[in-house]
Amino acid sequence: MAVYRRSNRRRFVFVLLLLTSITLITLDMRGSSSGAIGSLRRGAHDVFAPIQSAADKVIAPVGDFFGGLSRYGHVKAENRRLRDELARVRASGLQETDAQRQLRELTAIEHLTFAGDLRSIVARVVSTSPSNFQVTVELDKGTAAGIQNGMPVVGGAGLVGRVVEVSKERSTVLLITDGESHIGVRFSQSGDTGVANGAGARTPMQVSFVNIGTKVTQDEVVTTSGLQDAIFPPGVPVGKVRSVKTAADKLALDVTIDPVVDLSHLEFLKVLVWLPPPGP
Amino acid sequence: MNQPRLKVPLVLLVALLLHTAVMGHMRVAGVAPDLMVLIPIVGGLTAGPERGAAFGFFTGLAVDLVVQTTPLGLSALSFSTVGYTVGVLEAGILRSSWWIPPATALVGSAAGEALYAVSGALVGQTQLVTNRLGLIVLVVGAFNAAFALPVLRIVRWSMQGGTPTPARFM
Repeated sequence: MAVYRRSNRRRFVFVLLLLTSITLITLDMRGSSSGAIGSLRRGAHDVFAPIQSAADKVIAPVGDFFGGLSRYGHVKAENRRLRDELARVRASGLQETDAQRQLRELTAIEHLTFAGDLRSIVARVVSTSPSNFQVTVELDKGTAAGIQNGMPVVGGAGLVGRVVEVSKERSTVLLITDGESHIGVRFSQSGDTGVANGAGARTPMQVSFVNIGTKVTQDEVVTTSGLQDAIFPPGVPVGKVRSVKTAADKLALDVTIDPVVDLSHLEFLKVLVWLPPPGP
Repeated sequence: MNQPRLKVPLVLLVALLLHTAVMGHMRVAGVAPDLMVLIPIVGGLTAGPERGAAFGFFTGLAVDLVVQTTPLGLSALSFSTVGYTVGVLEAGILRSSWWIPPATALVGSAAGEALYAVSGALVGQTQLVTNRLGLIVLVVGAFNAAFALPVLRIVRWSMQGGTPTPARFM
């Protein structure tokens, strides 16, 4: 009898937890970002951010060590390349310090040719997501600096992503390579349009809805189209064409692009103070 | 400090910090280990379905709040299901052996990742089911199998001092 009661209690606890999870999912999906769930998320980010920053300083070398182990081949090749580069730099007498490198990056994003007269906020990348399902980075600035949900984020060369979560001191940027990212793009030579879809980190983006008659060339730059209801302003470089072939149904072109910004080494980014026009 | 009500939240906080600060760097083929799904698995193994589900709910909720931008509750739903199932299956294991926790971590983690993606797709997050899902499931399973024994010891330590738990898989 006691065993039967215990078993019932276990099931009751499990069902209760499942129902709570389903309720939270429903509330989150139906509510706006300014609702109770959004506030809870922002609060959690604000509480966790300083703990995470402090822990990062202590744990980061451990992470870097394991990162080095798991990317041994890549690190070895990079080491060889850097040695060659160092030899060249020494030979030319130009020894760039880390501060100079950071200055160069900041200067690059301060002189964006594609952002027009849009106001912007410079922020530093403080962490990358450990998630296997989402490609995001976290910035060290949030609503206190004027950042809002939906704002585009760019690097020196072009588009990086958009803000999808923002708390007082932090914001989360969904990178353009994430599977949830769909960007209206325009080919620089023909002016034809398509939709660039993220396919995960280190995977080329697929451009769909490209007319079969469109002339597309290798390394051609693709920019944001800015068409009606676009979530990015027009003219921001997104990627360079990597491959072009005719789709199996012969009704469209299969185009893949590589992002113009190296998304694996992000340090300083610029959040453009621009929001998509409100829907009808 | 010998109370589970203090030690369990501490272990969950440290796991979350390690998950956010270290695990993202340990990628194989672009896939990182998922320490947070391992906690409910070893929780279910050491303390049964009820606590396995509770571990899963709270680790999942922490991940949903701090790491993911997918709907709040999605990881909690998947992880509590995995913790509960492992706990139920554990009750049917007659003999304990050293290889059971790594094997359970392998299968449980793979199931947890797949369940997260599929339940996400069911609520409209279709981007979670990609052609990389198979790779994610395999790599996370393998990583977590390797971490299973040390994590098992830590989770068992966190639960000692309160209600006695069955001393299995030492």
